Amino acid sequence: METRISGWRIALGAVVTVILAFLLLPSLITAVISFGSSNQIVFPPTGFSLNLFRRFFAEEGWVASTWLSFRVAIWSTLLALFLGIPAAYALTRGSFPGRKILALFLLSPVMVPHVAVALALYIYFTEIRLTNGELRLVFAHAIATLPFVVVTASAGLRHIDPALERAATVMGASRLTVLRRVTLPLLTPSIIASGLFAFLISFDEVVISWFVARAGDTTLPIKMFSSIQFEVSPVLAAISTMLTALSIVVCVIVATVQKEARSD
Amino acid sequence: MTDSSGAKAAMIEISGLRKDYGSVVALHDTELSVPTGEFLTLLGPSGSGKTTLLNLIAGMASPTRGRIVINGRDVTEVPAEKRGLGMVFQNYALMPHMTVSENIAFPLEIRKVPRAEIRRRVAEVLDLVRLPHVGDRKPKELSGGQQQRISIARCIVYKPDLILMDEPLGALDKKLREQMQLEIRRIHKELGITMLYVTHDQEEALNMSDRIMLMNARRVEQIGTPDQLYFAPRTQFAADFIGASTLLDATVAETGEPALLRLSASESCRVRLHSAAPVGTVGKLLLRPEALRLVQNGQVTAGHNVLHGHLDNTLVTGATSKHFVTLDNGATLAIQELTDPSTTRLEPGLRVQVSWPPETGRFLEN
Repeated sequence: METRISGWRIALGAVVTVILAFLLLPSLITAVISFGSSNQIVFPPTGFSLNLFRRFFAEEGWVASTWLSFRVAIWSTLLALFLGIPAAYALTRGSFPGRKILALFLLSPVMVPHVAVALALYIYFTEIRLTNGELRLVFAHAIATLPFVVVTASAGLRHIDPALERAATVMGASRLTVLRRVTLPLLTPSIIASGLFAFLISFDEVVISWFVARAGDTTLPIKMFSSIQFEVSPVLAAISTMLTALSIVVCVIVATVQKEARSD
Repeated sequence: MTDSSGAKAAMIEISGLRKDYGSVVALHDTELSVPTGEFLTLLGPSGSGKTTLLNLIAGMASPTRGRIVINGRDVTEVPAEKRGLGMVFQNYALMPHMTVSENIAFPLEIRKVPRAEIRRRVAEVLDLVRLPHVGDRKPKELSGGQQQRISIARCIVYKPDLILMDEPLGALDKKLREQMQLEIRRIHKELGITMLYVTHDQEEALNMSDRIMLMNARRVEQIGTPDQLYFAPRTQFAADFIGASTLLDATVAETGEPALLRLSASESCRVRLHSAAPVGTVGKLLLRPEALRLVQNGQVTAGHNVLHGHLDNTLVTGATSKHFVTLDNGATLAIQELTDPSTTRLEPGLRVQVSWPPETGRFLEN
């Protein structure tokens, strides 16, 4: 009995290891390539160097795209938070007819295929004559990230005991004071987490960006995607490595913030 | 202390208050007057309407009809944050992101009290609840009992006219609960604030209250002092809910002083009637276990009632013992006596008599 269980355990461990390796290897291989000294994509690399990173920062096109991606991600995140947090508050604390349908509606950008959303936004932006490419990207990304903000903030709100808000009200706090002094401080970890996720999603977005961006407004992922069509530059490996590092940093921050919130 | 509010002004004056949720009645028409400084307990099983009444007074629900006047001001339409009340919750409801001091300062900051005075008053109430050194800690670093003291401190620091307590000791263990009962009583005496206390624990209600409002099926069953509810319950529900009790089927056979109750074909007893119940009225005879005596060999005091039966068993719980007796008519009852070495080792099945003086029984109509 004992040996059979441990036999199963070893088998399970092996399967898990293989799956993890399968998931991780592509990222690992790109990371290794990005530190290579060759001017072509070769694996294993022939020597260690930071050349590919240097080439990325030296090329104006790449840097400009990166800045554009940062700006779009920051503004669309702020917009998604500005819309999503109050929406989550209304959906979790309020009771009004059509609440469930509204919740479903706010989550629809995740459920509808991204290509469909992208096309719809393209037509819509053309129709309302929104010609500023950066604004188009910000609005489009805000819509795409809104569901994540609503879901994360709603979960956070459900964890706040409504008795705390009631207690503050009975003590004489106005609705605004309750929101400012009780609900929002307790919701801060969820706001940070949802904001960071929204940022990452926006930074990484290709499909919608491809449809709504105008010539000259190339975000980093668009530029990567188009550059791989003409030349397979090893610089892409360096960018991938940096993007992966950014994701890891964000996830670590989120985990830390939520751990602190729980021990609070 | 009687049912009338007497010379003191009323702190709470409720008239015709009712709450419906759609077709469901959450609280039937209720009248209540609470004199200033009273400790009134709303007692009842869950779903009896006591929390509904508390929420209506706190302003967290609005009544279907009726009026609520607090300290002379009609607050029926006033939102909760403008009623100036204090409230203590079962799960303490302390703000987890604030320290103990910040929690207590919070209602004062809302009232725009100057900083120096806030500091002084926070220290003062921490002393009053006997936790002077915990100001810098977070609520979760305190025990449940300490957290509840802080939530009481947060309430009394802004000197509300009225403090509502919603099962505040429900989450504490028995020993701590008794300690906190005394603590809340002490604070009530020291400050003289009117308190409205909700509990389903009849012992807690008897221990703490000036008056008890017993609720059942979303209406008021009886309101009175603990003594009145214990010794003079007006309904079978009140008799059964408060204290231990035996209720025997009984019919009025003769009126008079005392009247005669028929308990079965062969048994009857004398009781003083408290209502004008004519002959033939059907009801229950209430007997409290501590009013009954276990008698052997027919040594009954003259004028006392006596019923025959056999002993089921005896439980010695220390200073007192309980005898469980099955009467000849099949009903069972409990007798509670001070532990007496001569009666603790009686054989189960022994023929015994149960006796009590006519004035301790109480007839309650169906």
